[in-house]
Amino acid sequence: MSVEAKLVAREDGTLALVAPKPAYWREAPKKGAVIVPGASIGRLEVLGGLEPIVAPKTAAGRVIEVFEPKLARRAVDAATVLLVLDPNALGAGAEIAASATSRATEGLVFRAPMSGRLYRKPSPNDPPFVQVGQTIRAGETVGLLEVMKTFNRVTFGGDDLPASAKVKAIVAEDGADLDAGDVILVLEE
Amino acid sequence: MPLFHRLFVANRGEVAARIARTCDRLGIEPVFGVSEADRDAPYTKGRRVVVLGPGRATYSYLDPERLVQAAVQTGCTALHPGWGFLAESPRFAMLCEHHGVTFLGPPAAAMHLMGKKTPAKKAMRPSGLSLIPGSDGVLADLAEARSVAAETGYPVLLKAESGGGGRGMRIARHEGELERAYTEARAEALAAFGDDRVYLEKLIERGRHVEIQLLADKYGNVVHLGERDCTVQRNHQKLIEESPAPMLDRAERDRTFEAAVRACQAIGYVGAGTMELLLDASGTLRFMEMNTRLQVEHTVSEERTGIDLVEQQILVGAGHRLAFTQADVKLEGHAIECRINAEDPSQGFKPAPGTITTWRAPKGEGVRVDTHVASGYTVPPFYDSLICKVVTRGATRDEACDRMIGALEGLVCEGVPTTIPMHLAILRSDEFRTHRYDTGAIPGWKP
Repeated sequence: MSVEAKLVAREDGTLALVAPKPAYWREAPKKGAVIVPGASIGRLEVLGGLEPIVAPKTAAGRVIEVFEPKLARRAVDAATVLLVLDPNALGAGAEIAASATSRATEGLVFRAPMSGRLYRKPSPNDPPFVQVGQTIRAGETVGLLEVMKTFNRVTFGGDDLPASAKVKAIVAEDGADLDAGDVILVLEE
Repeated sequence: MPLFHRLFVANRGEVAARIARTCDRLGIEPVFGVSEADRDAPYTKGRRVVVLGPGRATYSYLDPERLVQAAVQTGCTALHPGWGFLAESPRFAMLCEHHGVTFLGPPAAAMHLMGKKTPAKKAMRPSGLSLIPGSDGVLADLAEARSVAAETGYPVLLKAESGGGGRGMRIARHEGELERAYTEARAEALAAFGDDRVYLEKLIERGRHVEIQLLADKYGNVVHLGERDCTVQRNHQKLIEESPAPMLDRAERDRTFEAAVRACQAIGYVGAGTMELLLDASGTLRFMEMNTRLQVEHTVSEERTGIDLVEQQILVGAGHRLAFTQADVKLEGHAIECRINAEDPSQGFKPAPGTITTWRAPKGEGVRVDTHVASGYTVPPFYDSLICKVVTRGATRDEACDRMIGALEGLVCEGVPTTIPMHLAILRSDEFRTHRYDTGAIPGWKP
């Protein structure tokens, strides 16, 4: 169970994240941290119980102001602005988190959405999910990423990618340890 | 014994302003829990507030966790629940105590006992309070309903054990109507309260509503502050309250005072509370229910006794003994209260939220005005429509009534309709002045 902060768009273009109710706010993010939609922004202590508080689904930006940054436990109420975000000051880290893919200098690429070990085949004896020269469509599987013993299916798609594209090259090897944002496929439209 | 430094006001509007007034006099800092709709209300100006949540009471004034957490984080060691909202919730009282906040009301156990209809009735019996004849607890089946109704005589009223607000109630005027009333009351009770248990009482029609103000400390000392008559009602909603009660036999009154005090001692009651009774045609006062909180009309008893009931709640809550005995309580003159609601009496009392453009409260000898509004105040649509209470005092009932007429004529409230025209019609009517009315109809008022 988690609660969501309230989002208030302010006239100067910044976003205010407001506490939903009276509580002690703990584990606040620091100034300069990047907040993405649904990210944790600490925990609320209500009558001794702790519940996570997360950013609303439409909030993203770099933290430019923190309520009472020096305190470990801050008394807040339903009108307290916890964080002020600047949505236009996103750093490289945020881009990766917000969108796993982008047009890079080398052309159209598909990047790893998170870090982990890449498997290009469903099992060792099966053919790979993707081969050079094929056309890949949104929603089709690119590979599996093993993160902390959990296999995550990586599917093709992204805000700035076409619905389908031809695979020009496969950059990441089978079994490679990738960081979030590492290029997996190079594509052409 | 020290008092509290800071007190949390877990309510809004008129009662919040009322509690703060006594806090100011006692040197206690009040902290208001407010919803977003009440953030800019005049009574919060310059005060410490905690914003609880949205205007809808479910996420603000009715959320026990938000309220207690707000009290804790502002360093309040006492909490006043006011009336309505969570004032009679044993769970809320318990939550306060568990987190080191003194709940200014009775112990949760006494509140729980009086919150259930038939256990409350049973608890009152040994003290000698007259009860409304009826079933001994909840009814087992229709056959029991039949035999009890035959014993008490028709008409009878079937009432939900967990009921309130007039729901889960059915009248049977003769035996032929009993089965249907029994079935319908159960079905409505189940739907409204999740509990289909019902009990049966003789229906007392044309009665008068009389109640007794009680005050108890933690050491078994209980006094009463006299009675109030609240017969002028609309759909169980009180409109005018006064003290002393007209048409009440002195001996019956004194007998009931003593029994009510004994009953409070027996259940371990603490703080301010009210026994609500029905004065039947034979002149007997019969117990209906106990309200385990401060009431809207407490002002009437304050005006007659000179005792500040909120102050007494705070003192008793802090562990003080009552500083006076029954013999010290002097009931003087006559006091009457009119509830001014933002409602349109000519439109079937339709609530009328809106902005009060001009507000001017009346002044004068024997006139008291309790309100939270001011010019420019917007009555929010989320809560009840009470905007002001005018209380007048006089040596006689007529003097108090005449002062009330003068006060209401001098009250200026522009922007929203109020119940003032109705009050004036009642106060000027012969029916009201000569006591020819009961709870069935509003005297002197034809909408």
